[in-house]
Amino acid sequence: MSLWSLVRRSLGFYWRTNIAVLLTAVVTTAVLTGALAVGDSVRYSLKMMVRARLGATQLALVPQNRFFTAGLAADLATDLDTAVAPVLQLRGLVANSAGTSRANRVEVLGVDERFYEIGAATDPFGEDAGERVVLNSPLAARLGVGVGDEVVLRVDRPDRMPRDVPLTPDADLSIAARLTVRAIAADSQFGRFSLQANQVAALNAFVPIQWLQEKLDRAGQANMLLVAANPADSVTLTAANEALRKRWQLSDAGLELRQLERQGVLEIRSRRVFIDQSVSDAALKIGDDAVGVLAYFVNELRSGEKATPYSMVAAMAPSGQAGAVVTTSMRDDEIVINQWLADDIEAGVGDSIEVTYFALGPMRKLEERKAGFRVLKILPMEQPAVDPELMPDFPGLADADNCRDWEPGIPIDLDKIRDRDEDYWDRYRGTPKAFITLEAGRELWSNRYGNLTAVRYPLGNHSRESVEKSLSQAVDPASVGLFLQPVRQRGLQAGDQATDFGQLFLGLSMFLVLSALILMALVFVFGVESRGRQIGMLLAVGFSPRLVRGLFFIEGGVLAVLGAIAGAGGGLIYTKAMIYGLATLWRGAVAGSEILFHAEPVTLLIGTLSGILVALIAIRLALRKQASRPARELLSGIAEEQFLAVARAGRRRRGLWVALASIAAAAVLLVLFGASSSRAVSAAFFGIGVLVLIAGIGLGHTLLAAGHFGHTRPVVSLSGLGLRNAMRRRGRSLALAGLLACGIFLVISVAANRHDPLAGSDRRDSGTGGFSLFGESAIGFLQDLNGESTRQSMGLADHLPDDVSVVQLKVHDGDDASCFNLNRAQRPRLLGVEPEKLLTRGAFGFADVADKSRLKEAWSLLDLDLGENVVPAVGDYPTVVWALGKSLGDDLEYVDEKGQTFRLRLVGMINGSILQGSLLISAPQFTKRYPSEDGYRMYLIDTPEDTAAEAAEKLSFAMRDFGLALVPAKQRLADFSTVEHTYLSIFQMLGGLGLVLGSIGLGLVVLRNLLDRRGELGMLRAVGFDKATLARVVFYEHWGLMLYGLACGSAAALMAVGPALRSGGSRVPYLSLATMVLAIALSGALWVWLAAKVAMGPKILEALRSE
Amino acid sequence: MLKLIKVAKSYESPADSAGLTVLKDITLEVGEGESLVIVGPSGSGKSTLLNIIGALDRPTAGQVLFDGRDLADLDEAELARIRNREIGFVFQLHHLLPQCTVFENVLVPTLASKESRSRKDLQQRAGDLLERVGLKDWQHHRPGELSGGQRQRVAVVRALINGPKLLLADEPTGSLDEQASQNIAKLLTELNRREGVTLIVVTHSLTLAESIGHVMELSAGLLKDRSQR
Repeated sequence: MSLWSLVRRSLGFYWRTNIAVLLTAVVTTAVLTGALAVGDSVRYSLKMMVRARLGATQLALVPQNRFFTAGLAADLATDLDTAVAPVLQLRGLVANSAGTSRANRVEVLGVDERFYEIGAATDPFGEDAGERVVLNSPLAARLGVGVGDEVVLRVDRPDRMPRDVPLTPDADLSIAARLTVRAIAADSQFGRFSLQANQVAALNAFVPIQWLQEKLDRAGQANMLLVAANPADSVTLTAANEALRKRWQLSDAGLELRQLERQGVLEIRSRRVFIDQSVSDAALKIGDDAVGVLAYFVNELRSGEKATPYSMVAAMAPSGQAGAVVTTSMRDDEIVINQWLADDIEAGVGDSIEVTYFALGPMRKLEERKAGFRVLKILPMEQPAVDPELMPDFPGLADADNCRDWEPGIPIDLDKIRDRDEDYWDRYRGTPKAFITLEAGRELWSNRYGNLTAVRYPLGNHSRESVEKSLSQAVDPASVGLFLQPVRQRGLQAGDQATDFGQLFLGLSMFLVLSALILMALVFVFGVESRGRQIGMLLAVGFSPRLVRGLFFIEGGVLAVLGAIAGAGGGLIYTKAMIYGLATLWRGAVAGSEILFHAEPVTLLIGTLSGILVALIAIRLALRKQASRPARELLSGIAEEQFLAVARAGRRRRGLWVALASIAAAAVLLVLFGASSSRAVSAAFFGIGVLVLIAGIGLGHTLLAAGHFGHTRPVVSLSGLGLRNAMRRRGRSLALAGLLACGIFLVISVAANRHDPLAGSDRRDSGTGGFSLFGESAIGFLQDLNGESTRQSMGLADHLPDDVSVVQLKVHDGDDASCFNLNRAQRPRLLGVEPEKLLTRGAFGFADVADKSRLKEAWSLLDLDLGENVVPAVGDYPTVVWALGKSLGDDLEYVDEKGQTFRLRLVGMINGSILQGSLLISAPQFTKRYPSEDGYRMYLIDTPEDTAAEAAEKLSFAMRDFGLALVPAKQRLADFSTVEHTYLSIFQMLGGLGLVLGSIGLGLVVLRNLLDRRGELGMLRAVGFDKATLARVVFYEHWGLMLYGLACGSAAALMAVGPALRSGGSRVPYLSLATMVLAIALSGALWVWLAAKVAMGPKILEALRSE
Repeated sequence: MLKLIKVAKSYESPADSAGLTVLKDITLEVGEGESLVIVGPSGSGKSTLLNIIGALDRPTAGQVLFDGRDLADLDEAELARIRNREIGFVFQLHHLLPQCTVFENVLVPTLASKESRSRKDLQQRAGDLLERVGLKDWQHHRPGELSGGQRQRVAVVRALINGPKLLLADEPTGSLDEQASQNIAKLLTELNRREGVTLIVVTHSLTLAESIGHVMELSAGLLKDRSQR
């Protein structure tokens, strides 16, 4: 015989009680482990999504509206000893052949076999590079098409120049093609490819890269490179960027080096017309003899009454070379003209010439300006003045045969073009008619894309090779957008830092765990109490109380360990149930993503150990008062009758002190936050609610302990008897009332936090900003949709209601930082907005700003000057706080399209809004950082409610080729709140399960109370109490506790949700809430009734006889 | 071996501020190997007196000297050790552990001891004692399978397992029929004689009392020698 065998015997003998303890331990551990494994599953799923998104991609050169030679991929592949795939990625839209279903914002990807090598998939195109398209599963599903069906693909056609430059034509912004669906790419076939860390699959359409290059007239070009990891794991960011630096060529930056024999020069020019500043700076430094050129298309050259329309004027750096047009002595207000112009406008040396030109503004706005010059020299119509090569390849101009075929982006009055002008064009093409100094030209025509259109070197001093070499060494390829980014690392990081669903579900399941533990403690302690005489005997034969408690603790510990081990298995079932819930009932919480079941062994271990630990703590607490009675009392059974014994005054008052302290703390919080309107109020009131709850439980303790005082007064009623009975086992009674109070508190406070996201959504300061419609387009729209001319050209002028106005936003794609993305967004999407437009409207109320004094004009904070590399940014509260885990004043690091790192500083937070998921910066800052992001792709539309549908229809139709998708702003706002409401639903459901356990606990308490007193009840029957009367005594006893718990929980909850109830958006489901509280009360009544039925069964008088 | 000097015991009472006095000025001396029976009506304080002697309760006044040691000077751990090693208890209700066999029940008190003793010796002793009371064949049975008399005999054996100097029995036959009562009385007397263990029995049964030995009566809180009546 040993202590262990004694424990073993007891475990077997009291198996009924022990099974109940075991089961509660199983439930506790199952919930703990299961919740943690939900976290594992989400993390695992996100990791799998990264794999599905990126295949073996380690690094990527991300497109910034720039194109490079696809051959760069092969060079890098050799240097890095890995697969490198060139991709041509463009935005587009796809419709089924009938045009009945359409998908906007489609990623169109021109790929070849190397792409599939990285994606570990079979190339679906094979040798067939014809008019075929592969759609990924979500896109095919969206369109309802299958293999063999035809679809219409429309792709954004990138121009040579950024399209924001008004000099580019704004027609034919996209190309369309009718293609046959070759295959539907599942995730395993790299169909999910995306560089953005979003778990919602992108809509992808894959076409052969060669086909797309031809269609776009970009043979041999790509705008994205994917670099795979290699087995040696040697593909690092540094190594890859180093290889890129070594391998890149001028043509990869859209630069062209050509030898102009007639002019005797080597010339660098850009396919983008304007040469990037970094390149032009480096190019000018190659030699002192380098000549910078800025050629521009002017509207008019006038001298007095005579004028020549539409001409090229070249601004050139002075050159000391013989025959140079612009010499070092030329002043900035002087102009050199050719003889043809001099004749045309009858200008001579010393005459004034007025140059009229368009200055480039945002939204392709053109401002006609004039500049005056004095004629310095008139050049004869021969070299060097006759140099058509000085005209850059302005799209719509350079390739026109006649002037009347000109299609530049600026408005041209073709009537002004005379025959003389046609002759000039025929003979001299774009030869500049006038020359000014480079300084003067930069002053007039510099823009964000560059301030030179060519750099020239005298042929005698430079060779093609030397210029090429010097330039490629001097220019950092990153400055022209050629830099690789660690997309895999960023993807994994986004997954690692994602919303921890383990903790989330742990939090949501906490009440369930608490209920299970209380139930366990109750069951266990009932078992111990029923063995009071045994304890007495053990004490009498020399066991110390500690040893006795130790014996029981070991018994409970064994049960806890066994229960936890079984619970770990049960946890996996719980996880599967939760994942099933996330796939069905609670889809909103994970934005419909598929969550794969996965549990790490270490999670199971942690869950099991946690289960054991909390179970042991519960058992230890339950045992703390056991074996504290003298052996003689326990042996004689007196102890069982002495629970009405006097509680020491200190203990009696302990509950009262707790209650008073809690109320005092609640009052302090109320004074501090009661009148405040900050977000802290909700938290403070929740704290007040919790304190009120604690006060209620403390008061309950005091009231039950106060039974001692009541002894001097006799019990004269059945309810009094019931109350007295409730005092017998204060611990049990308090646990019961407390559990119910906590349950009710959580149920009400969670339900009351449901708010109507659309309450007040018509107001300007609401989450809709007062806008009726929200739109996004696949292809950037260049003009101002509010402009009369734009509306006319779009055919909207007569159809769109007059009071429709649009705020257009520029978009730089990034991670979705909304609640729909489970990943932690690393670089959220950036929006460029003109702050003034939101400020004047008073759109979107601010939750908080860095500079409180500017709360009323908070949007102007976007214009703050925070230094060269710091850009002020605003996001909405859920984006900043929840999705990014940031607060005001925090910085986020971004890389601009030239590879320069800059920081976004959060200067303001608007309330939850339709802009969730993105950060806003001012349009000027946006274009400075991302000059190539042309056009506007996001639209906030103001229109009266009654004409919103009509406006949406007209706009969608007019902008169908831009892939405009409009949704009511309210709908978008409501969509965002589904996630929050889903969480609340999960919490309520798990809380409900907790209450079920609580109800079982109630039944057990009732049953135990009655079984303990079977003799007493028998006696009452014997002395004449009938069953109904006895039932009333039982009812009064337990219902009193239940009602106290319900009242206490409800009062605390109402305090906690005060701010939510007061807020306009409160959508408290009073009916369902009342139903739930009633259901809890009724289930309690049911348990009381059932337990009473069992305990007061027909054998009750036998119980008396046996005593 | 056991000396009670002016021992008194009273309890708090809501009805009487002076408290309820159960024992008054009890002085008693019991030598080694002696046997004593205390009789008295219900509520006379017999069990209280026995609990005080057995270190389960403390007197409100007076001294209890056990082997010359004043029990009031000992802490709970020392009292537990004395209860475990030097005193054996037999209760009116046997309080056997239903989950354990007869043999295991007998060994339960040995588990409380911190002193290391040969398990084999203890098991040998348990077996011998059970044989002596005629329960050798029942040692692997559970208490639930035994008669009332048998259970009480197991309780007696359990009380003797640690070889106590003093055996206290509180109404040991209270719940037994006449035959079983006589058997228990005989057993106790025999043990007192053979083992040399001092025996104090509390009972209200005069028959049992007379069959054991020296009888004293507790009445109105005072203990008197029955022979002096």
